[in-house]
Amino acid sequence: MVLLKYYSYKMKISQKIITNLKEGGADFFLSVPCKLLANMITILENDKDIYYSAIPREEEGMGICAGAYLGNKLPCIMMQNTGIGNSVNSIVSLLQLYQMPVVFLISYRGTPGEPVGAQGGMASVTEDILNTLRIPMLHCNTEDDLDKISTFTNHAKVIESPVAVLCNFNLMKDD
Amino acid sequence: MNRFELLNLLKKTIQDELVICNIGLPSQELYKLNDRPNYFYMLGSMGLASSIGLGLSLTVDKNVISIDGDGSVLMNMNTLATIGNRAPSNYTLLIVDNGSYGSTGDQKTFTNERTSLKEVAIGAGCKNVIECSGEETDGNLKKALADKDNSYVIISKIQSGNVPIKPIPLNAVTIRDRFRKSIGLVSYL
Repeated sequence: MVLLKYYSYKMKISQKIITNLKEGGADFFLSVPCKLLANMITILENDKDIYYSAIPREEEGMGICAGAYLGNKLPCIMMQNTGIGNSVNSIVSLLQLYQMPVVFLISYRGTPGEPVGAQGGMASVTEDILNTLRIPMLHCNTEDDLDKISTFTNHAKVIESPVAVLCNFNLMKDD
Repeated sequence: MNRFELLNLLKKTIQDELVICNIGLPSQELYKLNDRPNYFYMLGSMGLASSIGLGLSLTVDKNVISIDGDGSVLMNMNTLATIGNRAPSNYTLLIVDNGSYGSTGDQKTFTNERTSLKEVAIGAGCKNVIECSGEETDGNLKKALADKDNSYVIISKIQSGNVPIKPIPLNAVTIRDRFRKSIGLVSYL
């Protein structure tokens, strides 16, 4: 509990996101790390109720999530939006073909506030890719938006489909 | 020995295990030899049979075997590092290494040249990496399945070559549902 209080003070946004994902049913977490996900990763590494591992590449993560779903977990993969680009075939020909729910928790690099100009390219096509793939999106720009994550996570189970939570740069940067 | 003959040899050993089978001819051959609800035929996503099996093995107690190929492992080699660091003892990766992209016309892969998947797997951190002939594979697989303390990577070196075969007449959701039913999960909700 002391640890939780520390997090809620120091990592308000990250803690809220994880709490909502878990409330929505997510119980198996992977990440391809991002600076904006660092606090969430610290929280998950100390959470004994769920499985968490970092992995080298997002496409591989889609496969691991598919297996975890077959074993009755609701998986969540945390990654930068660039990871969507690495994973298109596995999303369509595995997760969607077999109708498998997976939550993509995406740090949306290249949105306003982003200091690295090179991130702008993938940012400009990310939503078009998700739209083309017919993946429901939840945009999180403010702290209040985070309250919707729990229902949205459960929605993945109901529609048996991947869903994407997009967390903008400015929301995450000071957490 | 080619892949069809190898799978025929392994038929009894894998009959009641949870199997994730590689895209294309490996799945079609397995389906023809002995279709089982506890076999998950991966119809797309080339390269990910190893990763799907890993995710499953992390969430169930039963043995899980990923039947993969050399071409597919070459496509998703990073997952060997994840397996090397995270695979639980109920996980076995069986790489059917025939040195060719069998489903696309037997074009040669790099395992015909300088690449050793055994060395790659060891370098990636995998324990109990066994390279063997097709004939030795059944014995090694039995050993891996009986060992409750360790995961295994078995690389079965066989000849290329395929048998005439048809696509699997099951849709993906049927494969999903009967597989989940076989491990006691009738409905997700």
